[in-house]
Amino acid sequence: MGNKLGVYICTGCGIGEAIDIEKLSEIPEEELINFKTHSCFCGQEGVDIIKKDVEGGTNAVSIVGCSRRVNFDVFKFDGCVVDRVNIRESVVWPMSREKYPAPTEEEKGKEDFIDPIQMAAEDYLRMSIARLEKVKVPEPYKPDSFSRKILVMGGGVTGMTAALDAAKVGFEVTIVEKGAALGGYAAKLRKQMPVKDPFESLIPTVVDDLVQKVSAEPKITVKTGTVVARIAGQPGEFTVTFKNPGEKIEFDVPFPLPDEMKVDENGKELDNEAQHVKYQEYNKGKKDILTLDPNGELYGAVVLAAGWRPVELKSAELAHLGVGSIPDVVTNDQFEQIAAKGKIVRPSDGKEAKNVVFIQSPGNGSDNDFDYCGSVTSMVSLKQAKYVREDYADGKAYIIYQHMKTPGLQENFYKSMQQDPGVFMTKGEVVGVSQSGKGLLVDAKNTLLGENLQVKADMVVLATGMVPVTVDDPVVNLAYRQGPGFRDNAIYDGYADSNFICFPYETQRTGIYAAGCIRRSMTIEESMEDATGAALKAIQCIESANRGVAVHPRSGDMTFPDFFFQRCTQCKRCTEECPFGALDDDAKGTPKPNPTRCRRCGTCMGACPERIIGFADYNIDSIGSQVKAIKVPSEDDFDEPPLRFICLICENDAYPALDIAGMNRMDIAPEVRFIPVRCLGSVNVIWIKDALAQGMDGVMLLGCKHGDNYQCHFVKGSELASIRMKKIGDALSSLALEPERVAMHEIGIDEYDKLPKIIGEFVEMVDALGPNPFKGF
Amino acid sequence: MSEKYLAQPDLDFIHEVIGLGGDTLKKCFQCATCSVACPIAPENSPFPRKEMIAASWGLKDKLIGNADIWLCHECGDCTTLCPRGAAPGDVMGAIRSIAISEYAQPKVLAKAVNDRSQLPKLIAVPAIWLALMAFITVFMGDFMAKIFNVFGVHWYHGDHGGEVIAHANFISSWLVDATFVPLLTASLVVFALGLKRFVSDIHENAVLNGKTDKAELNFKELVMSTIRVIPTILLHKKFNECGENNSRATSHMMLLYGFVGCAIVTGIFFVVLYIFGIPGPYSQLNPVKWLGNVSGILIILGATLLIKDRMAKKSETSTFKDWYLLALVAGLGITGLLSEMTRLGGAKYLTYLVYYIHLIFVFNLFAFLPFSKMAHFVYRTVALGYAEYANRK
Repeated sequence: MGNKLGVYICTGCGIGEAIDIEKLSEIPEEELINFKTHSCFCGQEGVDIIKKDVEGGTNAVSIVGCSRRVNFDVFKFDGCVVDRVNIRESVVWPMSREKYPAPTEEEKGKEDFIDPIQMAAEDYLRMSIARLEKVKVPEPYKPDSFSRKILVMGGGVTGMTAALDAAKVGFEVTIVEKGAALGGYAAKLRKQMPVKDPFESLIPTVVDDLVQKVSAEPKITVKTGTVVARIAGQPGEFTVTFKNPGEKIEFDVPFPLPDEMKVDENGKELDNEAQHVKYQEYNKGKKDILTLDPNGELYGAVVLAAGWRPVELKSAELAHLGVGSIPDVVTNDQFEQIAAKGKIVRPSDGKEAKNVVFIQSPGNGSDNDFDYCGSVTSMVSLKQAKYVREDYADGKAYIIYQHMKTPGLQENFYKSMQQDPGVFMTKGEVVGVSQSGKGLLVDAKNTLLGENLQVKADMVVLATGMVPVTVDDPVVNLAYRQGPGFRDNAIYDGYADSNFICFPYETQRTGIYAAGCIRRSMTIEESMEDATGAALKAIQCIESANRGVAVHPRSGDMTFPDFFFQRCTQCKRCTEECPFGALDDDAKGTPKPNPTRCRRCGTCMGACPERIIGFADYNIDSIGSQVKAIKVPSEDDFDEPPLRFICLICENDAYPALDIAGMNRMDIAPEVRFIPVRCLGSVNVIWIKDALAQGMDGVMLLGCKHGDNYQCHFVKGSELASIRMKKIGDALSSLALEPERVAMHEIGIDEYDKLPKIIGEFVEMVDALGPNPFKGF
Repeated sequence: MSEKYLAQPDLDFIHEVIGLGGDTLKKCFQCATCSVACPIAPENSPFPRKEMIAASWGLKDKLIGNADIWLCHECGDCTTLCPRGAAPGDVMGAIRSIAISEYAQPKVLAKAVNDRSQLPKLIAVPAIWLALMAFITVFMGDFMAKIFNVFGVHWYHGDHGGEVIAHANFISSWLVDATFVPLLTASLVVFALGLKRFVSDIHENAVLNGKTDKAELNFKELVMSTIRVIPTILLHKKFNECGENNSRATSHMMLLYGFVGCAIVTGIFFVVLYIFGIPGPYSQLNPVKWLGNVSGILIILGATLLIKDRMAKKSETSTFKDWYLLALVAGLGITGLLSEMTRLGGAKYLTYLVYYIHLIFVFNLFAFLPFSKMAHFVYRTVALGYAEYANRK
């Protein structure tokens, strides 16, 4: 490839003591590669040595020493690919010389002496050199047209706050609101919970203040009575078509063909062109996603703050609470509307409701709260209890809860409400609500008061939850081939989310950042904070897309998938499997990449059966060559050749866990060579097949957890990998290889202590199977 | 336990608890640290966690007739460890105060005793009455002697020819005892009536909450059990288990022995005076006198230490009911000993004045016994006896 390589072997941190540096140096020496050793390459002197070489034309450096997870800012050279050969955390630290003694002077000369530590170090260096020969210095992708405007969907508290925050730092913002006026749900409240210190008493809603600020802000355009018909294109150049609610236009977003329509009457899948015809019929009157609206407005990023609606209670499931049968049993939403009108009165006869019971959990043998509840419903019950006390000096408000959730300083609010002599709270399971004369009786068991508790009430309020509008409506109406909404949102109960723990605001679509109750049920205070976060994410997206780098989680990554279209068979697997819907195939099925939508996980690369997708510094060949660079010891070399394994390890959580295990000097099987990958989704089965064909005794995949509580940084990566691994089992059987030789494990970043055991057991298991019969061929 | 309990919160009760030093009760969030921390709470449904929620819900019916509130010695371990500053010890104290008022009749008097603004009246009544008694003794001695002579009884108890100063020369012991014997009897009657309701209430409460293995209440056994716990009380065994305010157990013990001693001395001299007809003042060499002096000193010491304790303790809430009792006890001891010392010192008018004040204190003690915090010695004793009887563990 014409890269000019340089190898820099660090002898610090115990490397020099454990490794025969001279012997290691023979590798670059034999290949006539410039190499240098130093006792501290991360020091100024060491860095200067490398810098000098880079200035002298070296554009691919291999630094043999510590993990890529440390000193990454020290070893950063412009226009130069840096590969880090991790022999500190992966070799020297986890493999002790006490367990694997160094050869004595006498043994040194012997060809068949097995020194696992030296072998590992040498393999890693060979792998690095092989990789550097196959990669290129990345160049950024820059879109043709570019907009720095931000679109905010939803004119409630969240939307307005996000718009104000973005405008404050100089961005042009458009708020699009379906309703006739700004304000959202908060405009309908009597009062709201506190938003600032000391978080103790109810305050008037912040809506009026926000509306005033929005109308005074020249950078914000407000479109009320408007919805988004479609958002086409990609971050930095989203083409947005607006319309009136309920209107039908040709730029309404088309829906993908349902699976049952993709097959003919015999159940056979139709070819691409036939499918496209059906797709056009299915979306009659709508333009295809690849047709851009000439009158559309250009935006750089979108903040999604479309909010929520109250849960509709099912009377069949909640009959014991009197839902549907007792008129004085209401939801917290209905109660708020009564409170906003004036004093609290009963819906049945308009009489004063002085005794109100707030039920937080439906009971019936379960301690779950109502669907779509969160801490906010706990807080709302406290707030509404206060209404009862405000309206009537002798009023009594009861709260029966299974969980009282008051996050953060809202605890102060709970404390202050608790101080009210007329507010009574207990944990308990509500058994039922019944009519008794003109009043109601609420029965609960397992309460803090011990026995079966009964309370008289004039009115009962149920803490129903907040359903995100994305539950049954795409809302964002993306002109993406995978469909207009977010995929697999069912695992988040319909909330617009991506990886809840690590990546707030991220949705499964790059450039669309969710905030407020569309993400989870939130108080006004939380929504406002959330709005700021999402606005910042939108800005980050614009400021990354304009430089041609990834937004998240590989922030700053300049590479993007490159397709060798001549060999594309239009199988559409990349389009379908991309977790972020980055690819739109055309009528024939050829994928159209949208680089700014891409998160650079490489799932498309792992999916492609033709292996035509790759990144400048990460591709089929670069990993394949690393696998090939590993020396597989055979009987030709040793009487008892040690086993050899590769482990394709996800760099997001599993690789850090491996590093931590190394730092803790945990014993990791020396037979395994670890190759970090961007995501298990990017693992192409060819690497595994090649490894086994080469005589490797086994292949391990280590990645993040998938499923409902997935930790995969790219949502679907480890799930796809597990499906592919199941399929590879059959292929191995046909080669007379045991399918157990390929195994996949999922591990959290905090489970480093389990890693040595998982790896060790795999090695033992394969050892029992015996060596790979293809060894030596 | 399967029966339904209809909770009917009483807002007035909550306000009452707040007013009596339990202003923190609504801070409780039911973590039960208090019940775990309490060194003397029984294992089966321990206090004060359940009392805290009942109080914050204003469930007076669950608290007044609950013997557990009396098992608490308010040592304050719970208050110190409470993560919310809900001060369960203070709340329990306030509840006890309400319980005392609840069982004592008449209610008006109970209210007055716990009301700071009524204090001048509570002092004025005995002050006027005792002034009248002094007036009769000093100015109407001859007239009284004539009346007494009709019955063949000596009016003068203290007249030793004017050489010795005797308090009976200022207020006749006949009049003193004619005041205090009926007063004490009345108090005992009030106690008896209160106790009758109290015992049946605590039993009912214990049965309802599974705190006893006895279905029917047997009075005889209850009395026997109460006698059995007396050594425990005398040795302050429960009180000594307290961690936070352990020092208070000693002070309190001094007071207890002081009062017991004074009661014995008073009893003996009562018999000596009225049965054997020997009037005081008695010789300082008399062992009974020694006991009296030691008891007086114990009361002063105990009261002083408790006052010091309360003033130093910031965590414990002290309200009128607490200060009233402490002032009463300290006053009793100080004026008692002072009146003796001034008498021996020959300061005739001064000693009369001090004696007069002392009698006002005694009046307060006897008359308001069933209504003030002092009543705890009856209720707590019975509650401890009941716990013993009911096998409350």
